[in-house]
Amino acid sequence: MTLFDVVFSGNDTVYGLTEGAIDAAIAQHGADKAVSFPDTAYSLPCYYGVTGTKIGNLGELKEALGVVKTLMTREKRLNDVFMSGVATALCAEFIEVLKYIDGAMPYEAPCYGHLGDAIIRELGVPLVTGDIPGVAVILGSAPSAEEAVALVKSYQAQGILVTLVGGVIDQLESQGYKTGANVRVIPLGKDVTSVIHVVSVAVRAALIFGNIKPGDAAGLMEYTFKRVPAFVNALGALDPVIVACGAGAIALGFPVVTNDVATSEAVNIKVPKSLIVQPDIAKFNATSLEARDIKLKITNIDIPVAFASAFEGEIIRRGDMQVEFDGSRVDCFELVQTKDMTEIEDHKIELIGPDLDEFEVGTKHSIGYIVEVAGKSMQSDFEPVFERKFHSYLNCVEGMMHTGQRDMIRIRISKDTFNAGLRAKHIGEVLYAKVKSEFAAVVDRCQVKIITDPAECTKLRHELAVPAFDKRDERLTTLTDESVDVYYSCIMCQAFSPSHVCVVTPERLGLCGAVSWLDAKATNELDPQGPCQVITKEKPIDERIGEYEDVNEAVRKFSQGALEDVSLYSIIEKPMTSCGCFECICGIEPLSNGVCIANREYAGMTPIGMTFPELASMTGGGVQTPGFMGHGKHFIASKKFMKAEGGIERIVWMPKDLKDQVADRLNATAKELYGIDNFTDMIGDETIAEDPETLLAFLEEKGHPALSMEPMM
Amino acid sequence: MPFTAKSGKFNAKINTVEIGTGDKAIKIGGENVLPFYTFDDAIENAPKVGIEITDGGMENEPECIQARYEGCATVVDMAKKAVTFEGVDFLSLRLEGGDPNGKNRSTEELIQLVKDVADAVDVPLVVCGCKNVEKDAELLDKAAAALEGRNAVILAAKEENYKTIGASAGLAYKQIVGAESAVDINLAKQLNVLLTQLGVDGKSIAMNVGTAAAGYGFEYVVSTMDRIKAAALSQNDNTLQMPIITPVASEVWGVKEAVASEADMPEWGCQEARGIDMEIETATAVLASGSNAVILRHPESVKTIKTLITELV
Amino acid sequence: MALKGLDIFKLSPKKNCKECGSPTCMAFSMKVAQGAVSVDACPYFSEDAKAQLNEATAPPMKTIKIGAGENEMSLGGETVLFRHEKTFVSKTRYAVSLCSCMDDAAVDAKLAEIPKVDYERIGERMFVELVYVNYAEKAGKDRYLELVKKAAGLGRVLILGCTDPEVAKEAVALVKDTKPVLNGANASNYEAMNEVAKEAGIALGVQGADINELYDTVAAIEKLGNKNLLIDAGSASIKDAFATAVQFRKAAIKDSNRTCGYPSIVRADLLSKGDAHLQAALASLFTMKYGSIVVLDQMTYAEALPLYGLRQNVFTDPQKPMKVEPGIYALNGADENSICVTTVDFALTYFVVSGELERSGVPLNLIINDAGGLSVLTSWAAGKFSASSIAKFFAEQDIEGKLKSRKLVIPGKVAVLKGELEAKLPGWEIIIAPNEAVQLVKFMKEITA
Repeated sequence: MTLFDVVFSGNDTVYGLTEGAIDAAIAQHGADKAVSFPDTAYSLPCYYGVTGTKIGNLGELKEALGVVKTLMTREKRLNDVFMSGVATALCAEFIEVLKYIDGAMPYEAPCYGHLGDAIIRELGVPLVTGDIPGVAVILGSAPSAEEAVALVKSYQAQGILVTLVGGVIDQLESQGYKTGANVRVIPLGKDVTSVIHVVSVAVRAALIFGNIKPGDAAGLMEYTFKRVPAFVNALGALDPVIVACGAGAIALGFPVVTNDVATSEAVNIKVPKSLIVQPDIAKFNATSLEARDIKLKITNIDIPVAFASAFEGEIIRRGDMQVEFDGSRVDCFELVQTKDMTEIEDHKIELIGPDLDEFEVGTKHSIGYIVEVAGKSMQSDFEPVFERKFHSYLNCVEGMMHTGQRDMIRIRISKDTFNAGLRAKHIGEVLYAKVKSEFAAVVDRCQVKIITDPAECTKLRHELAVPAFDKRDERLTTLTDESVDVYYSCIMCQAFSPSHVCVVTPERLGLCGAVSWLDAKATNELDPQGPCQVITKEKPIDERIGEYEDVNEAVRKFSQGALEDVSLYSIIEKPMTSCGCFECICGIEPLSNGVCIANREYAGMTPIGMTFPELASMTGGGVQTPGFMGHGKHFIASKKFMKAEGGIERIVWMPKDLKDQVADRLNATAKELYGIDNFTDMIGDETIAEDPETLLAFLEEKGHPALSMEPMM
Repeated sequence: MPFTAKSGKFNAKINTVEIGTGDKAIKIGGENVLPFYTFDDAIENAPKVGIEITDGGMENEPECIQARYEGCATVVDMAKKAVTFEGVDFLSLRLEGGDPNGKNRSTEELIQLVKDVADAVDVPLVVCGCKNVEKDAELLDKAAAALEGRNAVILAAKEENYKTIGASAGLAYKQIVGAESAVDINLAKQLNVLLTQLGVDGKSIAMNVGTAAAGYGFEYVVSTMDRIKAAALSQNDNTLQMPIITPVASEVWGVKEAVASEADMPEWGCQEARGIDMEIETATAVLASGSNAVILRHPESVKTIKTLITELV
Repeated sequence: MALKGLDIFKLSPKKNCKECGSPTCMAFSMKVAQGAVSVDACPYFSEDAKAQLNEATAPPMKTIKIGAGENEMSLGGETVLFRHEKTFVSKTRYAVSLCSCMDDAAVDAKLAEIPKVDYERIGERMFVELVYVNYAEKAGKDRYLELVKKAAGLGRVLILGCTDPEVAKEAVALVKDTKPVLNGANASNYEAMNEVAKEAGIALGVQGADINELYDTVAAIEKLGNKNLLIDAGSASIKDAFATAVQFRKAAIKDSNRTCGYPSIVRADLLSKGDAHLQAALASLFTMKYGSIVVLDQMTYAEALPLYGLRQNVFTDPQKPMKVEPGIYALNGADENSICVTTVDFALTYFVVSGELERSGVPLNLIINDAGGLSVLTSWAAGKFSASSIAKFFAEQDIEGKLKSRKLVIPGKVAVLKGELEAKLPGWEIIIAPNEAVQLVKFMKEITA
């Protein structure tokens, strides 16, 4: 038998039963007899939702059955399977509504049967908010009552709403397990048709919370697929009726997990991601959550000491220290790696090497930890973004101090914290919990390896971590404005600089120096409504100054119309605005035909005749000031630095400290672009000149290239 | 040569939001000009004035306001009296006693009060939470349910609890969702976007973009509102075209200029006059910046602001 | 739009002679662009260039100076309609009105009342800067002149409200040197009034029955060569006065209609028709929207406290946060043994934090650091609120000498300072406060319980 045969036969069986039941009811009560479910404004909710037609009496119900029949097409395509599934569900609803004729109360405690609108409104809110992260529909009987209890309990512990149909209800009762809406375990009924009462909940949720119009079957199914995180656990032998019902569930977007290996194999048609065979009932929970893509909120971190930002600034002195890991003396590293889903067992924390209690008090050791993550939207570009947060995560642990990054980390753990029970695995717990919760948008699975074995640390540092860091650095240097398709806006500063918009490109980081293109990209992925938005660059206006129609549109939008157009690479023509948090300002020094750069830390005078604060007061506030521009330190060595005016060759002066900071990279760029060696030697600083005339004399002596360039103005 | 001004009428409009039901229902928003710029175009709906009472009843009010509610024993009595004051368009019930750091009154108790007050009056209703985001999620969810059919404003959903309050007030019970952000245009916009993504109709959202008493960082309030109106009208940004409701009362009746007793500050003079003027001047300033409704506490303030609005529109 | 610094530089002599006081021509040009100095400070700018510049840089709205000596103040000179675009430069000034129709007792009572509101708020003196002296024809000239003299005795700048040129001339003569305002030119008397004002070198207020008449009269006076003018927004109705104030400002800034580019006088005293609360509302309204001088019937503390606070807020530089004076603020009856709480000198932080701390009722010493007027995280990021800056401030202020408590609560947002502070301030117990001010009430009660 194929899946088609099974579903079609199950559907036919149910249809036959329904037809018989309706005919019998009409024979008994007449066609005008009213039919309805109690406490709902949605008639027969499933039928009403799918067709938009309300049913008031038996005659209409009989007519409706004719409509259902039209769904029961018998081509052998997957769609026919789904439609037959839907037809089966509708038949189930008809059978169930007949039970309520004359205000009958067909269900007895603990079963609920039909659920009224009020319960749906009440349950709908936590469903929409994710406080109820999922809805489990458990159908049939578990291999044993104990296993039934264990399964229900596992969902309940996760806050998942559980509905029960069939034998599982008796199994729970036999164990004295408490059920009811208040504990979010709702037995519906013992007949398989009572499963419709949970479908009815999903349909009404779409009508009430999704504003879906009754009759918009496609919209309805899209809503249930996207917004109702339900799934089916079919326990025990699958008969055709159950399979047909399952097809209906899948049509609504609810995957079905079954432990009936035999039937599944016999049927031999797979519906990937929707019909899943899991022989081990103990794994039903994990399989179901993953199939329905349900991510649980992590609310507490399982460590024996407190975790709070109040501990961020704690300093652990040598005398209070239980143990220390010091990357400057021995091999240490921290690393995030993207893996394939199959390579990761979520929440696995592995310690390779001795634990903290095996170290002598006050000693120094190696440590490495690798946080391995996987997720459908995960990108390796996010690795450094996560990694940079480790510092603050670990510092928030009471009695733990963390400094540095990459392979230059140092960690101290206090005696008190050690005595409270903190061990190496808890580092993993913290990293796991924080990465899973803060980056839930992209991380589906996460596991942590902690390595304290010194030989292994050395090996992994050099063979795994350092090459990974090098690769990342290389990616950064090869990442150019031309090599990417989009830029990002950043408006984090608008609170105090209302019209300012930073356009962040790979070669031009935010002027605060803190937001690189990768950071902006990650910010956007993690918080799509947040301060960093995608800006396309498909409509160039002027490549020379870096002006794009789409960039202008974005700037106009994000500045609420205050800014009309900006160029990316010019400080004279439509320069980018500055907020106030820029690390540096560059400004034209006309006498030397170049620019001077002042950094925030520099307190003295510049040859432009203005100090940093004076320059800042003219350049800030989101206003375009031709000839002057705020920027990050890192931008100074960029090939895009005032490219339109000739690039870094224009730099004639910067404070000595700043020059020392950027010298290596700046010299490398000058060498590459112009073949100039030791370019920074030609650049003046405050020890050489603080006025334009002295500076000019110096530049002439050095033969600075700016002097022979085209006039800037 | 007479004076000729270019019209400042915009092509975009603020959304019109109806609050309440029946004869007493009010509409806010709908204008296509800056606040009170009637010379640019007629203003569709004049800004509205609400009066606020709290679950704390009489003992929660300063003496000067207690005097106006003479004879009232219960919150319900106060509600009945409040709606009779001159200039009142709607009633706001603030459930500040729900704050777990304050009186921590139970949700059941407060919701019963919401029902009792709602039954006692027929004006449009605003229900304000207790400012604790977790408690508000619970409290305002239940308040939205309790007020089903009244088309009330649930004030407010914040970034931390917008899902619960948005789903409950906006989806399950079809009330007006108040969207509260802290004096920042981008946060205001983000919350509106999040609420609409949740499925809440943008036309049933009213914003509380945050406020302050005059003198207390009020420049941020002015600029936030100015920029929101500019974006909504000149940029036709439909994620910011929601009308603004500003609860002035809860801000002003906490600052020392309004509450310090005459005994403590003899040179400042009568405390009631100070409270009223602080409320009036702050309310005027938020209206001039673009609020479509204000919530006040002193009947005299309500009357004065109503007069001002009538004069201006 | 005003000229950019770079455009001005192009016109400059490019000599870097420093005679203007700026070290370079570029620096000078940038200052001219900002309006910080006049181009006339440069002896070498060509006449041509200056003319070109003056045309381009002339503000859309005139700056009118009134008052003399330490009472001198600027009105108008605004370049924008909204404060987030650029700073509003001239704050609204408040006047209290007197009339020669009042009896002596009423006049004396008012004159005694006016100086009572006089206090400082965040470094700014708050008081009634102007007195409006209205001429009532029925009471006669002599009584008016008496009143002007009497009012002048207060030492505030006067606005002489008078439409009779003869009377005005004599009144002006009495107080000419104090540079009062003469308000009362209208369609029928403007020529004579203009003579009086021009001769005395004082600003002239222009009135009109409606906005058109007002506009025409201003244009006519401009034709007579007087641009030292103020616009009286009128007293027919609140709606019209608001329309006039807003439309003139908009026309000046947006449409470069220079005839509209003058500061305004708003008669809230007349518009409120004796309703003191409505007058408070109007004072607020016209502080928000474009009143340069708002005339009131009286100024009580009730009206003043929110009004001056509002003005201080609205007229701040959007990029320059307001600062409070660093130092120790004893709250809730604290003494030297009370717990210490510290934060930055950003005015908004101070107000929010001190408000919550006061609500807690816990006696404490609030120590406001000198953090450059920045908020907690901003100043921390800028290195102005660090363990060393706090320790330095404690030493400079001799906190340890002045206070005996050694418990210091620091903002939750800078919890990271704890360890370093413990090292820099030996003997102090550093306590981390919550992240948000609203949580302070509960927190303070708990830690002092």
